[in-house]
Amino acid sequence: MICQFCKKNIATIHFTNVDGNDVVKIHICRSCAEAKGFDYLRRSNFEKTDLLAGLVSSALPEKAGTRMICEHCGRTYAAFSKSAGLGCSKCYDSFGEDIAKVLKRIHGNARHLGKSPRRYCTEKVHARRRIRALEDELRVSVELENYERAALLRDEVADLKKGMEKR
Amino acid sequence: MKQKQLQMLLKKPASWLAEGGEESELVFASRVRLARNIDGRTFTHCAEASELESVRDQARDALMLAPSMKDSIFLDMNDTTEPERMILAERRLISQDMVRRFTNRGLMVAGGERLSVMVNEEDHLRLQSFEPGLALREAFDRVSRLDDELDGCLEFAFSDRFGYLTACATNVGTGLRVSAMVHLPGLVHNGDIRQVSDGLRHVRLSVRGSYGEGSEMVGNFFQISNSITLGLSESDTVKNMDSHIRKVLEFEKKARETLLKEARSLLEDKIWRAYGILRNARILDSREAMELISAVRLGVGLGVVTDTGLSDLNEMLIMIQPMHLQMLYEKVMGPDERDRSRADYIRSRLKAS
Repeated sequence: MICQFCKKNIATIHFTNVDGNDVVKIHICRSCAEAKGFDYLRRSNFEKTDLLAGLVSSALPEKAGTRMICEHCGRTYAAFSKSAGLGCSKCYDSFGEDIAKVLKRIHGNARHLGKSPRRYCTEKVHARRRIRALEDELRVSVELENYERAALLRDEVADLKKGMEKR
Repeated sequence: MKQKQLQMLLKKPASWLAEGGEESELVFASRVRLARNIDGRTFTHCAEASELESVRDQARDALMLAPSMKDSIFLDMNDTTEPERMILAERRLISQDMVRRFTNRGLMVAGGERLSVMVNEEDHLRLQSFEPGLALREAFDRVSRLDDELDGCLEFAFSDRFGYLTACATNVGTGLRVSAMVHLPGLVHNGDIRQVSDGLRHVRLSVRGSYGEGSEMVGNFFQISNSITLGLSESDTVKNMDSHIRKVLEFEKKARETLLKEARSLLEDKIWRAYGILRNARILDSREAMELISAVRLGVGLGVVTDTGLSDLNEMLIMIQPMHLQMLYEKVMGPDERDRSRADYIRSRLKAS
């Protein structure tokens, strides 16, 4: 088959583009494909977006088409649910608890553990993080019926909490 | 001046490529990136030109002051040509996406290409570090140090609950992506690669072709990366990845041993044939070249081939890409001419060594 674009070379790449009800078949040679940028990387971007949209809507099927909007940047929740892309850092507040559900769905967790910018590195934050980690470990210890360890962890958590109240 | 710096950068492949490193027979490179955004600014994909410009300038000024970035150059993508950007993408210094969408984007590269920062890609800043061989911790420490240095100058978008806030919900939290580019011909040959990649997916690591997202697997090169960034600390992410990768490497080594034991002459034949073709072919497309180099790379790893080395082969893998070849031969070439030049270049490299 001859390339549809240059009508000279033999078409070695064939693909079918489905857009709604329209099915377009494309037969193209290697150099035209390169010139037009029909590379597989571009196709993969579509797949990635579809995949992410699936993640968002499966986390919140009943919320599809919700009217939420970020007041800071104007991003709508509908746009977010199509691509998992946020408009600005404030979107994470604007979309409320729904975003936590989506993050939980993607990451299996909705609580940050790890580094933070210096301005967040107050002792209080450290203590809170430490408490969270200890509580997680405590749950595991109880599940494993390691009650000795659990008791130690419980005391440590209680001490930390007391310390925080004093401050 | 700028142009000259860019030319200098592009002329030679990154120095780290030739350095070897731990497990370098099986691991081509380690790569770590951190996604960061400036608080209060619209994310890149929603931002207007004026906002992109000011983010770029703010990021550049902060990067200029960072001790880790001394002796580095800042490239304003507006001043680059498409071929130059394609070379940067073939080096993995910028993304494919940035080749096309380059207006008001930027790239800062420190000497030797071990540390670089993409500005206004999906996130405002993407700090990236490369190491030869398996050295995830070293690569992480380097980007993390730069992150600390920038922290004083730039206010990064962060929430106590969700961590570093990113343009895509898949990167939020640590914003950390740790990858190893591994060469696994043994596991491909014995068919265990499927099981291994299913196992890795199970522990929430992703396995892709060597060119990252969506790319097919050629030459038995794979990229293994973490897929989770929320709820796991940076050091646990790095530690987990490291131990899982070492497990994979153990499997690969066993597969190679078995191959040698059970089919030594067949394997040696395959390796030497590949070497013979590379040294004599007149036309090589990139897929075939990668597959042959992969076979010879295995030969070097097994001690079968001794007259070429990993650093030569690694460098070849970079140089045989379309834009690198055109730069090397200093002319614009179509696919057919490139295939001839590729064969020509590989012949000259293997004869000289």
